[in-house]
Amino acid sequence: MKRILAAGLVVLALVALAAFAGRTQSASAKPTAGSLVGTGATFPFPLISKWIPAVDNALGLKITYSATGSGAGIAQITARTVDFGASDAPLSPDQLTGCKGCVVIPWALAGMSVPYNLPSVGKRLVLNGAVLANIYLGNITNWNAGAIRALNPGVTLPDQKITVVYRSDGSGSTYAFTNYLATVSPQWKSKVGVNTSVSFPTGTGARGSAGVAGIVKSTVGALTYVDAAYSIANKFQFALIKNRAGGNATPGVRGVQAALCELPAKVTSLSQLKIVDPSAKCGKRAYPISTFTYAIVPTASGSKAADLRKFVYWAVTAGQKFGPPLYFVPLPKSVNGFNYREIKKIQAGS
Amino acid sequence: MTSTPYEPAAAPESDLRRSGIRLGDVLFKGIAILAALAATVLLGWIAYKVFDLAWPAIQDFGLSFIWTEAWDPVTNQFGALIFIYGTIVTSLIALVIATPLSIAIALFLTEIAPRRVAAPIATMVELLAAIPSVVLGLWGILVFGPWVHNHLEPWIQDTPLGLLPVFSGVPLPGGSIFTAGLILTIMIIPITSAICRELFIRVPQDLTDGALALGSTRWEAIRGVMFAYAAPGIVAAVLLGLGRAFGEAIAVTQTIGNRNQIPPSWFEPGDSLGSKIASEYQGATSLEQASSILYLAAILMVISLATNVVAQLIVVRFERARRAV
Amino acid sequence: MSELSVDPYDITVKSNGLRRRRIVEKVFGVLAIGSALLACGILLVVLGTLVYKGFSSLNVDFFTKARPLFGENGGVADALVGSALVVGMAMLMAIPVSVLVAIYMSEYAGPKVSRGLKIVLDVLNGVPAIVVGIFVFGILVVGHGQSAVYGAFALAILMLPMVARATQEILEIVPRSLRDASFALGVTKWRTTWSIVLPAAIGGILTGVVIAVARVAGETAPLLFTTSIAANEISTDVSHALPTLPVTIFVFSESPDPGEQSAAWAAALVLIAFVLVMNVLAKLFAGRKRRQLEGS
Repeated sequence: MKRILAAGLVVLALVALAAFAGRTQSASAKPTAGSLVGTGATFPFPLISKWIPAVDNALGLKITYSATGSGAGIAQITARTVDFGASDAPLSPDQLTGCKGCVVIPWALAGMSVPYNLPSVGKRLVLNGAVLANIYLGNITNWNAGAIRALNPGVTLPDQKITVVYRSDGSGSTYAFTNYLATVSPQWKSKVGVNTSVSFPTGTGARGSAGVAGIVKSTVGALTYVDAAYSIANKFQFALIKNRAGGNATPGVRGVQAALCELPAKVTSLSQLKIVDPSAKCGKRAYPISTFTYAIVPTASGSKAADLRKFVYWAVTAGQKFGPPLYFVPLPKSVNGFNYREIKKIQAGS
Repeated sequence: MTSTPYEPAAAPESDLRRSGIRLGDVLFKGIAILAALAATVLLGWIAYKVFDLAWPAIQDFGLSFIWTEAWDPVTNQFGALIFIYGTIVTSLIALVIATPLSIAIALFLTEIAPRRVAAPIATMVELLAAIPSVVLGLWGILVFGPWVHNHLEPWIQDTPLGLLPVFSGVPLPGGSIFTAGLILTIMIIPITSAICRELFIRVPQDLTDGALALGSTRWEAIRGVMFAYAAPGIVAAVLLGLGRAFGEAIAVTQTIGNRNQIPPSWFEPGDSLGSKIASEYQGATSLEQASSILYLAAILMVISLATNVVAQLIVVRFERARRAV
Repeated sequence: MSELSVDPYDITVKSNGLRRRRIVEKVFGVLAIGSALLACGILLVVLGTLVYKGFSSLNVDFFTKARPLFGENGGVADALVGSALVVGMAMLMAIPVSVLVAIYMSEYAGPKVSRGLKIVLDVLNGVPAIVVGIFVFGILVVGHGQSAVYGAFALAILMLPMVARATQEILEIVPRSLRDASFALGVTKWRTTWSIVLPAAIGGILTGVVIAVARVAGETAPLLFTTSIAANEISTDVSHALPTLPVTIFVFSESPDPGEQSAAWAAALVLIAFVLVMNVLAKLFAGRKRRQLEGS
């Protein structure tokens, strides 16, 4: 018995030693290496995954990022439990006040796809804003409804109930999608509204892009909204969205780029970054459900300020080249002008 | 047993030794008291912190939060009814199914099974309790949930049970109140049956023998004597299982469907207190939302505590009555 | 006379309803056996599914590579290391305090204080794990960031009532004669407790520890709030958040990616293997304790 006890104590002591050694090791291994911890949106996660090893090589910075949802990104940086947050939704005035001095920097841009599960329909379905709003409001409940048939002449739609799936966690994807629905449907705007987390009138919720994608994959007739990269990586069928110019747009790089046509030459505030439901001027390619995704960094970042400036600057310049293969569109120059001014605001503070 | 402090007998000779002894004893007793204080302070601190963080919401909404059916971060309308409903219904489903099963299992182990069979079966039932809730939830999402949705729920709808409003309507995929309730059933069966087993072992053999001598069958003796004798204990066991079911967050959030409404049917998704806290707390972007979630946590804490306290009271009463016999 | 065969040793009252009563008896017997089989069946189905779906993913990569970034292959080695560290630290934090509380309750405190502490421990035991997670988040993580140490602290809070209760129960079983003999020889109280009583109780204490470890090794909720944002590399730096097995399973369980789902099954298999081993160990220690105390 004593021997077992002694062995157990030795094991525990080893564990304690390992823990302590780990601390001193990572402190001494790279004396000039900094590390930043961030959390937030699942939307930019594929891109950030590519950034992590590249930033380590280029700047010697170790980035840790966990995709927990835009809501968590905003909440955690407000509570200062991480060094930076990431969100697909810009901060509301209340959230900006709550964050006590944060800059919001758009650092990536991509389209929100609408994947669905209808194995019997081979051709890509066309949907538009009004139909999507009605589906999510619960007004349209079956795939063979007249409104859907009207958009898809010549396609045999099955008599299949539509299973609406939405993000149950605080999600920037929800923000982007409800932003689009509110723009195209006054009924949505008054009844439900726009936020990272809304009270959806119908359907099933799941956590994360992965959660909603999982339900769609396993349920015939399901549809949801999720970033284009996830749809493509999981080989979902996603819908073509009819835009104001009458074209059926896809959420690829060119579709999202076309939606940028109305951005001012000089961007001075985030409210000018309206790319949802672009006007007919942007052409038939313009994808209506595109969204920027933002880094949220406190202006008073203490010892991490220099590293944060370096990281965000790298992300909006050199990091953009990793975007296109993952369906992210490189940031236009007008936006980067705004970004450089915002990045300068990240200081050590008091 | 050792309920009164026991002081050592007369200390040995020299004054030096005497003061040395006292120091060692005082130190040891001192750190033991510190530990006990720490445990007590910790409990109080947890209760305080939860209510402290929930205070803004308690001030805003007051007690009506408890019966408000709303959860809208856009308009900052929050209420606990949706989640209290989910917690109570899933736990009730678990209770209704698990209690007879647990009693039957306990009876099997104590009355029917021969010793060599009872031991391994008892171990297996205990191992059911050892399955971590995240593993049960994983199995629930990927295997059990789809089976319930594709086979069990339609089957129930074909039986007379399907006429009940809570079982009607088209079952939705991706989790439901019923699936979560069944997962909770699996989690509380081992707890309730273990306690019942302890109870049944303690029933004095002569009581049962007496019943049998008077000519009752085995089952009649069990029903008449054992249940009557152990009834308060069984109630306590059920309450302890219920307390466990109330507090379970992870396996429930994986299988309940996460929906901000009270579902008309139990075959549709809903949400519970623990599940909502787990899925939304880290993403609460406004103070109102965050403190509303803490308000949910406070409610959860109170009902878990109340259930546990009632169960303990019943056990204490039970022990006292038994000792008097 | 009656169609039932009369057994001279069967003293069951002969009545007109005897056959019905016998049938009722048989029915409930069958139901009892059926219930036990159902419970065992569920256990076997869950374990079987884990083995069936997870076993094939248990390759070398699984145990040596960290969790992959988007679009890569990997394993769960960083989560294994993280879990070991977090649980190990939780043990270091919980065991001394729990044993001391139990010693106070059984050796020093009066009956009222002892009963009060018992209530405190029972109430602490009933606090849901997710509430403990929020508590530690609120007092430690806010403003400082996550870390494996905070996660261990949350688990230690969960372990405290379990280990304290088990220790207290075994201390009460240790015969008074042992303490009396020690005092009669002039040994001080604290020395008696430390060198005589505790070693006698060690079997029960270890049983309690092992059971508590088995419980908290699978806890997800407290770790979600304290150590869930971790780098995808094997690290032993406990001042930052480390990945853990339960949180990894939780995140992977909701993924549509079949690779991550398989990893979830395999990780669950590893976790449950650990928990089962702990439970077997607990039974061994319990047996030893019983034999030891019965012999003394």
